[in-house]
Amino acid sequence: MAATDNSRGAIGKNLSFAHRWRGYKAHHRETLRASFVKMLHEPMQTVLTVMVIAIALALPASLYLTVDNVQQVGSNFESSAQITVFVNKGAKPEAIEGLEKKLNGMAGVTSVEYISAQQALLEFKALSGFGSALRYLEDNPLPAVFLVQPMMEGEVDLVQTQKIITDIKALPVVDDVQIDMAWLQRLHLLIEMGHKIVLALGITLGIGVLLVIGNTIRLAIESRRNEIIVVKLVGGTNAYVRRPFLYTGLLLGLFGALIASIMLFSCLMWISSSVENLASLYQSQYRLQGLGITGFLSLMLIGGVFGLGGAWIAVSRHLRDIEPR
Amino acid sequence: MICFDNLSKRYPGGFEALRNVSFKMEAGEMAFLTGHSGAGKSTLLKLLMLMERPTSGNLLINGKNLNRLSNSQIPMYRRQVGVVFQNHQLLLDRTVFDNVALPLQVSGYPAKEIGRRVRAALDGVGLLDKEQQKPMALSGGEQQRVGIARAVVHKPRILLADEPTGNLDPQLSTEIMALFRRFQSVGVTVLIATHDISLINRMQLRIMRLEDGELTDDGGGYGGY
Repeated sequence: MAATDNSRGAIGKNLSFAHRWRGYKAHHRETLRASFVKMLHEPMQTVLTVMVIAIALALPASLYLTVDNVQQVGSNFESSAQITVFVNKGAKPEAIEGLEKKLNGMAGVTSVEYISAQQALLEFKALSGFGSALRYLEDNPLPAVFLVQPMMEGEVDLVQTQKIITDIKALPVVDDVQIDMAWLQRLHLLIEMGHKIVLALGITLGIGVLLVIGNTIRLAIESRRNEIIVVKLVGGTNAYVRRPFLYTGLLLGLFGALIASIMLFSCLMWISSSVENLASLYQSQYRLQGLGITGFLSLMLIGGVFGLGGAWIAVSRHLRDIEPR
Repeated sequence: MICFDNLSKRYPGGFEALRNVSFKMEAGEMAFLTGHSGAGKSTLLKLLMLMERPTSGNLLINGKNLNRLSNSQIPMYRRQVGVVFQNHQLLLDRTVFDNVALPLQVSGYPAKEIGRRVRAALDGVGLLDKEQQKPMALSGGEQQRVGIARAVVHKPRILLADEPTGNLDPQLSTEIMALFRRFQSVGVTVLIATHDISLINRMQLRIMRLEDGELTDDGGGYGGY
């Protein structure tokens, strides 16, 4: 019989802090478990919500992966971007030697390769198929050439490269400098645009995720109205009442992110063989970049944060209205 | 233990549910609160549960003025009070055990302690063998007893009951009153709102009568009906 125990008084007095802490932790575990079980009891509702969240997360994530892969392809080309320096015809060998030294000494230059006019002619004869036409020319029409490899670390530094070109142009005996930068610049602008689209799409769909989770939690609160009232009547704090709904939101977000990852992974598996075939046609070792462990964890983090956030919004809007009357 | 000091409650719209009500109850005292429906019994109990706040006047519990409690302190206060509801307010999707365990769970008791206390409370109301049943499988009297077990499982200092014998036959009513007597005997302050005249007449207890929000009668004896 409960009430025959005479050691009555405020509850706080016969519960130590350690006891409370253990009870608190146990309650969190129990709430998590109960939230999970409740979700399983409404499989259709849960599956629908999780799928909507998964799609909303997978869309911006897949676009991000696309942009990421384009960027990878771009940087492969960038590393082969060379500056071609044409030497004045009739430049003296000493002058050419001096130019080579100066080019080698420039900041931001990785390597310099010299191709003499004779070498260029031989190469042209061998590769172009116009070799016989050259016999009708009195002398070698081709200039001597330096192939300059600018330094590229990861992202190409277009400004830096532009500066190198200007500097080279100012050197003596240099006739002309060529680099095909225009398409690189375009690629960069495209990638930048892609990043912005990912961000915009991500924000839009993120708001969608918040609303979906918020609505699911709102319905859950409504269906447990009676329970909330009873819990408040027996001294449950707002935090106590809030907890199961926050856990439900967190779980929905995490499951959504997990399904989104699985969707992305399957898509990549499906596409990657075609990409490999295509790459092999270009003698490239290029492979599709997947989410990776960091990407997966980021996606889970985003899902969890949005799940918790959506639940928080719903709970703070609807739970306050439910007071025992 | 309970002290109403010139307390009034006016609802928005002008309805005055309680008017200048003053009374005191000592620790370990047991009393009836009576009056026809609409006289203010429910409002009085709601004020004691902090489901409502008084418009004017003070309500002191164990010397503490409830007006000074902030909303965030309400849960802590409610943990010192046990309530038996007229419609028993049991959660139908939970077992009897889980229903009775609720006040302990919200207070953060460890599972072992909860099991011990819930069984003690269920034993006290004679329902130990029903702990794994759902409330719907029980009779009306049994449901009411589960409600009582839940109201006392956390050893409150104050026990409030709103029409605890509402739909019960006289024999069950007597049993439930005997339960309340036992809580009183260990020092719990018990306040029972009821208009069950035959029940009141059978027990020698203090009776407070409300009429249109005013306390018109406060005294002991055999009813006066």
